[in-house]
Amino acid sequence: MSFNNFNLHEPEFQRIKAILAKMQKELRADLVLLITRSGQPAVVSGEAKGVDCTALAALAAANLAATDGLANIVGEKEFSVLVHQGRQRSLYISDLVKQFSLVVVFDASASMGLVRYRSKRATALLEDVIRDFQRRMEKTESVSNNPQFSDEELEELLGR
Amino acid sequence: MTFINYVAREINCKIVYYGPGLGGKTTNLQYVHQIMSMSPENTGKLISLATETERTLFFDFLPLNLGQLRGLRIRFHLYTVPGQVFYDSSRKLILKGVDGIVFVADSQEERMDANLESIANLAQNLKEQGFDLMKIPYVLQLNKRDLPNAMPVEDLQKHLLVKGEPVYEAVATKGTGVLTTLKAVARQVLMELRKSA
Repeated sequence: MSFNNFNLHEPEFQRIKAILAKMQKELRADLVLLITRSGQPAVVSGEAKGVDCTALAALAAANLAATDGLANIVGEKEFSVLVHQGRQRSLYISDLVKQFSLVVVFDASASMGLVRYRSKRATALLEDVIRDFQRRMEKTESVSNNPQFSDEELEELLGR
Repeated sequence: MTFINYVAREINCKIVYYGPGLGGKTTNLQYVHQIMSMSPENTGKLISLATETERTLFFDFLPLNLGQLRGLRIRFHLYTVPGQVFYDSSRKLILKGVDGIVFVADSQEERMDANLESIANLAQNLKEQGFDLMKIPYVLQLNKRDLPNAMPVEDLQKHLLVKGEPVYEAVATKGTGVLTTLKAVARQVLMELRKSA
């Protein structure tokens, strides 16, 4: 499963948001994010003061990519899950169909076992959404709805 | 992979600054950050994963808001790669999902072989990630034009041009040519996006 571009529209957004929000509530997690493997935050649930979601997504994607490299070196196909345990906050990062990742920021009140369990369940649900999305993309492959803009509009943007 | 979020009304693109070690990739990002952070809503933190001697270990990262196009906010994520030869596996990872490349060449005569090796390495690493250097948005920056041992532009172009890409002279330490280069690659990326519409 791969996309040249990924266009997120309201129906997928709402389905993904609902899955992340449920997970965030169940775990009482600070943040749950779906990010692209190129490091962009796609959907975020929760608010954690002082956490820069853009930087978090970039570093989490790089972290997971580096871990894939490590896996190859030791003869593994992949390490699909990454855990960083801190004193106050911890991070759980897992792969999602090689195109996205699920990132959970949680505190000491959530047990690691519970985080793993809920993440696995959420991952399965998110994969369904992404598959549906892929089917829709295939059906409408010839009708792209990327934004159209004039040369003048582009020059105005870049002239700032 | 350009990510268009129609819910948040934004387009996200990834630009990678590639080139030989000590060529000025990080300096490009530092200058962009310095200029853009005059309006804090236009940029975030510059993240540098560097060694103790300030050589890039993994990458530098800078998010940037360029403005709006047809009601969509245009966000660029700028990355550098580590230039040193032995960090090749890191360079491959950073090219994942790239939308456009700036090749920062070192104009000094003694760095010509490093420039050529780096371009060959870029082509190979892009191929491994499923991209073609001949098709991807690409800009060549000739950096360090202020140094006495800088080669003439014509000579550099003769050896470093890969496909008739736009070429910009720069002195990244002073900011000369840095924003022009960025705008050129941004233009190519957005035109590519429009072409696929």
